[in-house]
Amino acid sequence: MRIRSFGGRSLWGPLVLAVFIVLFPLLLSNPYYLNVANIIGLNTIIVIGLTLLIGYAGQVSLGHAAFYGIGAYASAILTVTYGVSPWLALVLAALVTATIALFIGIPTLKLHGHYLVMATLGFNLITNIIIVQCDSVTGGPSGFPGVPPLAIGHWAFDSDIKMYFLIWSMAFIGIVLGLNLSRSRVGRGLRALYSGESAANCMGVPTNKYKVKMFVLSAVFASVAGSLYAHYLSFVSPKTFDIFFSVELVTMVIVGGMGSIWGGLFGSAFLTSLPNILSSFDEYKDIFYGLILVVILILTPEGLIPGILQKLNIYRKNRRQRNKNILDDCSDRAGSETIGAIPLSDLSFTTRHEGPNDTILGIYDIAKSFGGIAAASDVTFEVQKGSITSLIGPNGAGKTTTINLIYGVYKPNRGKIVFRNNRIEGMNPYQIAAMGMARTFQNLQIFDNITVLENVMVGAHSISHNEFFISMLHTPSYRREEKLIREKAMEALSFFGLEQEADLPAGQLSFGEQKRLEMARAIVSEPELILLDEPVAGLNRAESIEIAGLMMKIRSRGTTVLLVEHDINVVMSISDKVVVLNYGTIIAEGSPIEVQKNEAVLSAYLGGSL
Amino acid sequence: MTDHLAQFIVAGLTTGSIYALIALGFCIIHNATGIVNFTQGDFVSLGGLVIYSLLLSLKAPLILAFPLSVLAVTVVGALVERVAIRPARSRSIVILVFITIGVSIFLRGVFKILWGKNQMGLPPFSGDTPINFAGATLMPQNLWIFGITFLSVIGLQYFFSRTRLGKAMRAASCNPRAALLMGVNVNSMVMLSFAFSGALGAVAGIIIVPITTLSYDIGVMLGLKGFAAAVLGGYGSSLGAVVGGLLLGVLESVGAGVVSSTYKDVISFGILLLVLFVRPSGILGHGNTERL
Repeated sequence: MRIRSFGGRSLWGPLVLAVFIVLFPLLLSNPYYLNVANIIGLNTIIVIGLTLLIGYAGQVSLGHAAFYGIGAYASAILTVTYGVSPWLALVLAALVTATIALFIGIPTLKLHGHYLVMATLGFNLITNIIIVQCDSVTGGPSGFPGVPPLAIGHWAFDSDIKMYFLIWSMAFIGIVLGLNLSRSRVGRGLRALYSGESAANCMGVPTNKYKVKMFVLSAVFASVAGSLYAHYLSFVSPKTFDIFFSVELVTMVIVGGMGSIWGGLFGSAFLTSLPNILSSFDEYKDIFYGLILVVILILTPEGLIPGILQKLNIYRKNRRQRNKNILDDCSDRAGSETIGAIPLSDLSFTTRHEGPNDTILGIYDIAKSFGGIAAASDVTFEVQKGSITSLIGPNGAGKTTTINLIYGVYKPNRGKIVFRNNRIEGMNPYQIAAMGMARTFQNLQIFDNITVLENVMVGAHSISHNEFFISMLHTPSYRREEKLIREKAMEALSFFGLEQEADLPAGQLSFGEQKRLEMARAIVSEPELILLDEPVAGLNRAESIEIAGLMMKIRSRGTTVLLVEHDINVVMSISDKVVVLNYGTIIAEGSPIEVQKNEAVLSAYLGGSL
Repeated sequence: MTDHLAQFIVAGLTTGSIYALIALGFCIIHNATGIVNFTQGDFVSLGGLVIYSLLLSLKAPLILAFPLSVLAVTVVGALVERVAIRPARSRSIVILVFITIGVSIFLRGVFKILWGKNQMGLPPFSGDTPINFAGATLMPQNLWIFGITFLSVIGLQYFFSRTRLGKAMRAASCNPRAALLMGVNVNSMVMLSFAFSGALGAVAGIIIVPITTLSYDIGVMLGLKGFAAAVLGGYGSSLGAVVGGLLLGVLESVGAGVVSSTYKDVISFGILLLVLFVRPSGILGHGNTERL
């Protein structure tokens, strides 16, 4: 939503930037500042990649100075030692960097927490020491001189002003690509995984792949900046690429505003010029630098640019709209409470729509234990196509475990799961989502860093195809798909009565609205099977009736429903079949009537009476 | 080689003890707040710098200078929390971590002005007559380092498992909200964790200065190694911090002896990367899982 506040698809931002880039050299009195502007441009290129990595994918790297250095040294060595053309060297350097990033990214990005920080930090230290020690190749601590300038034919980029236009053209392209990616299907997927990795994975976002791809892409940005640096200064030395520069780069991202490409541009301009501004303070420079950094982070943690925008009331409009919606909502509810209090039994159909006969999902002898405790053992049941099948049982019976086993969140110890005639046990949730399954969560898993509409659009991840490259370019086919998904998402929202809330940050919705949002997010991909994990828990009676009605509506659209629910009224009124779990095993199975009469169920679960 | 090996191991255990103390500092703050505190290295520097001034400029006796230096850094640690962490408007881990980086830059700027950029040295606590032990030569300072590290670890363990305050700190780190409702002053507990980390950093700085050269930024690399040790052992586990510290020290020392001391840091961080790739949660850590 931060990005959207810059005008959605508006071209004003890039246009103003382009004009500014062209006019800026005319405004300069001192040619030294051109040099500073060039360094800002180089840092900006790195920072755009890092902004996407940190602010979107939520992965902090302290190794990007090393990627910058590898790009610079690879370009220097290839052109000087091996006589490769500078442009080709730039591409080769980027390939080398990408390969290294891949090797670091694949093992470390599987992990959560501080591990990427540690691994990249260690990698940066090692790279630096190797550059210093291999002096026969790299020139060692004294650096590598004599790198030729980039040239087009015989026209060389050999002055500050020529390099200014080259560097800032590249930075401009980087910014546009970054903006495009941030507003794309991939950008949504990344922000979703930042907010909740497992939930995003269940929506069809290949989270590990996305993190690795984003890491590699950001490393390539850094490498390109490094190559430009080497050809610009014609000299590279190891000190430029040490761990402290990595820290500074991440600081630029954070000070500018983590979730904003424009913030990254600002952060890089601000922190690159800050030492120059502070140079008159001489030895007190570091103190002021540290102090300014701390004060900014304490006071505007969202970053300077988003912080300032907030002050400019960009968000106020939304909030007013929101208050109005809440009021409308309340009056609606008040109305439905009196009219809509239909007894649940009236909702169940006595005559069934014809024949749910084919098995869409089969679970056979599934077992799963956690540290010696059997959460599920020998669980076997089938779900018929077009039915509502309910899984009930006391707390701790293994219902959610079963759902998570089906959906690939847990791997079963043994047994098989067949969905639409394919074995799916051991598959990843995102792959299962792509096969036509969707789910909601017992503990709400709303992506609260994006809008309501975007949440639903993430739900359509499994049925759309725009990947990184095409997302950066915003090609016509990309736009078509994006438009289609947006329409589908709006349709799903109106199915659950949330179309008014589409542009609100999802975190602002009420509990009941968030529950409906999860269901909208699950049906948008038009799945064959939908797993609903306690959709009415915590809702009042009127809301429960509403959700029960919607579940039957989902079934009538041809989607099979597997329901986990504690609310016996809802389960008994709408289910075609009920499966009862206790202590991880199935104790009864059959139609609602049969299950209600089952002795084992009555004694074990319902306490003897219903 | 074998007689050298004993020597390498002694040297490794010595630096390993220092890493362990620093790693413990990381661990305590991580458990209280979930953040990586990058001022940890500066606590180490400050401990060394303060005791240097007390011993050489003010001619204070060691028995007085040691606790005073620890106390000074403890206070600085608490101040860092009170002035920079608590007023922060965001509880986001990344923001808080970078606040500590800003504080670290600030502190280093201050140290540079107060103590200058020159390298300084301190004599060992109790002479430099070598002691022969199991084929290795031990300096008295080695024994000081082992002893003080051992006492610190035991003391800390006692504090966290046996005292009321220690239990309150653990409760506050486990579930701040519940602890608050039970009447624990969570803010004070977080401040206390910074104070503790300051004290541990100071002890590490004080005991290592006699066997190395002191400068205003001595703690930077030591801090990174301490962080590495904490990750190696399993981030957040205090036993892991000690094991990780000692292991990193020994591996680094033996590796440097076998290969080359110029690649000492390559070896230690290389080992760390390997361990991260093979057993990501560290030696004694257990991974965290999201609940759906």
